Amino acid sequence: MKQTMRVFAMVAAMALCLFGAAYSAETIKVGHLADLTGPTGEVGKPYAQGVQDYKDWVNTQGGINGKRIDMPMFDYAYDKNKAVNQYKKYLEDKVVAIQGWGSGDTEALSKTTGDDKIPYISASYSAHLTDPAKTPYNFFCAPDYTTALRAGLKYLKDNWKEKRAPKIVFIYPNVPYGIAPIKGGKEYAKELGFEVLGDENVDLKAIEANSQMLSVKNKGADFAWTGGTTNSTAVILKDAKKLGLTTKFFSNIWGADETTPKLAGGAEEGALVMAGSTVYGSNVPGMKLLMEVTRYPGPPVTHYIRGYVSMMVLTEALKIADKKGQLNGPGVKAALETLKDLDTGGLTPAKLTFTPTDHRPSMTVNIMEFQKGKLVLKQTIELPRKAEWLGL
Amino acid sequence: MQYCGDFRTTYEKDVKIFQTPFIKICMGFLGVALLALPFLIKGEYLWIALQILIAVIGAVGLNILTGFTGQISLGQGAFLGVGAYTSAYLTAKMGLSFWVGIPAAGLVTAMAGMVFGVPSLRLKGLYLAIATLASQFILEWVFVRWEPVTGGSYGIVVPRPMIGGYSFESDRSYYYIVLAFTVVMTLFATNLIRTKTGRAFMAVRDHYISAEIMGISLYKYRLLSFGISSFYAGVAGALFGHALKFVSSEQFNIGVSIVYLAMIIIGGLGSIIGSVFGAIFMILLPKILSVVTETVAADIPSLAKLAISFEQGIFGLIIVLFLIFEPDGLAHRWRLIKAYWKLYPFSY
Repeated sequence: MKQTMRVFAMVAAMALCLFGAAYSAETIKVGHLADLTGPTGEVGKPYAQGVQDYKDWVNTQGGINGKRIDMPMFDYAYDKNKAVNQYKKYLEDKVVAIQGWGSGDTEALSKTTGDDKIPYISASYSAHLTDPAKTPYNFFCAPDYTTALRAGLKYLKDNWKEKRAPKIVFIYPNVPYGIAPIKGGKEYAKELGFEVLGDENVDLKAIEANSQMLSVKNKGADFAWTGGTTNSTAVILKDAKKLGLTTKFFSNIWGADETTPKLAGGAEEGALVMAGSTVYGSNVPGMKLLMEVTRYPGPPVTHYIRGYVSMMVLTEALKIADKKGQLNGPGVKAALETLKDLDTGGLTPAKLTFTPTDHRPSMTVNIMEFQKGKLVLKQTIELPRKAEWLGL
Repeated sequence: MQYCGDFRTTYEKDVKIFQTPFIKICMGFLGVALLALPFLIKGEYLWIALQILIAVIGAVGLNILTGFTGQISLGQGAFLGVGAYTSAYLTAKMGLSFWVGIPAAGLVTAMAGMVFGVPSLRLKGLYLAIATLASQFILEWVFVRWEPVTGGSYGIVVPRPMIGGYSFESDRSYYYIVLAFTVVMTLFATNLIRTKTGRAFMAVRDHYISAEIMGISLYKYRLLSFGISSFYAGVAGALFGHALKFVSSEQFNIGVSIVYLAMIIIGGLGSIIGSVFGAIFMILLPKILSVVTETVAADIPSLAKLAISFEQGIFGLIIVLFLIFEPDGLAHRWRLIKAYWKLYPFSY
């Protein structure tokens, strides 16, 4: 009997594999642009895997009200031309939404996706993408860069004990990603009573930052914002330690992750990260499922969790759009904008909300600190949803 | 190349662009094919065709400077950017028409090109290459930092052109505008080469001391070459900006300059048709490679991961092989093919 059951199960499984795609009633086409092999592949890979893993899990659970999500991944290797080419192909395929990746593809396509009415969920968290008056079809699922920076400033100020004004320096690469949050951040820093020192530029591909760190030391900065990627941040932290800086560093969402201790070799101790998610294995309700469905080799980094959440958000929107019978670009956009207090099971710092006039998913940021090579949650900072901060 | 029975009795006949009725017919067919193309392809391939047309303008421009006048420029990418930003600023921020924006983009970029071309009066070869490389970095920095004009890190959103009430919103309609620019500018370049100016460019390239002794003003013609070349780059950049409807600093980096240089080297230095071939080759090659790697990856899944990594390597390898086996570029190969068929089957 057991034998027969097993054979039956095997046959059924094979049949499912063979005919699953052909026989399922309908599929929902979604695009997925990822960078696996390009310059941002190091962080792009886990993010993309998170997106795909959640999608596969949804499909095993019966998809969107019985419809499978058809979302093959395309590796564009951070080549904007390739991304645009593939986007034009997705248009031909009539996708209802696109899971995108970095500033390169997201910014280049921001106007086009708006005109073509295709919701574009990115991992580029630039604040100007949150204003629907300008980029109505852009969405993302983590606090934007400027909000993250403001939260960090608030945390530092709240924990500042001395009487004098704290001195802060902004270290960032001279690229749009690095520059984006600086203006808003500086204004808020002044508002909070920081003394803002002159900026330092450290390139994304820098292999040393001695002169910049020497300058930071001479200025006597108490705090330093590092708005680069993991490599440049690790370089900064290492050189800062070498020169004996006492400055406390706090980094952008892409600036540091679980790989930083390996890259910085201990110099990361005490540095802060403005995270838009929890870490793998933390004690939150949503983590159990994530740990079951993940196919990432080894414990995934925080970027994986954000990719996972971003697909979760899209899935919820697809469900709503499907129920209304509006499985198309504008329908999915409208559905995304009805999401209110979407519970991600604690994977994000707060519940996510999108409205037709405000695409900021949340104003809450997890402030994490490196302690003995591990990321530890220090505090969750919630900022007010100020209208004048929208898009800045 | 001259063949039996093909002789000219006047200078006018010798410099004709379309030498024989047969070529005229061929060009007619090419014209019809280009006009019909948007109805044969769509989506991704139509977009690629658009990019090729734009790249042809930029490559022809660079070839005038590098191929015909012998001045190496590593700043073509940034000059494309100057054009794109000029047109973007005029159309998006000042509300002027696309038809003002494009010529203005060309003129402003020509000015910029002439300013950055001034070192060419003193510098030659590699030294000039480095000087133009500096212009690339300076301009890139301006793109990111001159926020009131360039939008800084946010870039500028640009509209597609309009005529009357009709907006060229679709790629198909916009293709025809770009096609018109490409045809006119390519023909202009072909004609330019036959004029006194064109011959002066070549004299400067071949031996600048001799040229000067012959009475050619190096100052004038080097700067003029920079100006014309940058005009082409400006128009190409502006057309690209309007195609993508978005202009940002990251689109015009040093990589773009290198690609354009590769286009004219692979296509053939000092050849207009070579610039066209080079542009087609460089834009199409990545797509062909990814189609091939995808097919291979589908048959042998274990290769899927490697395939994309290989793509970059193969891309480089093809370019290296090209330079070794076809140093005169695709234009030379084109001439050989033509010669072969002209005498077929009695080639000697």
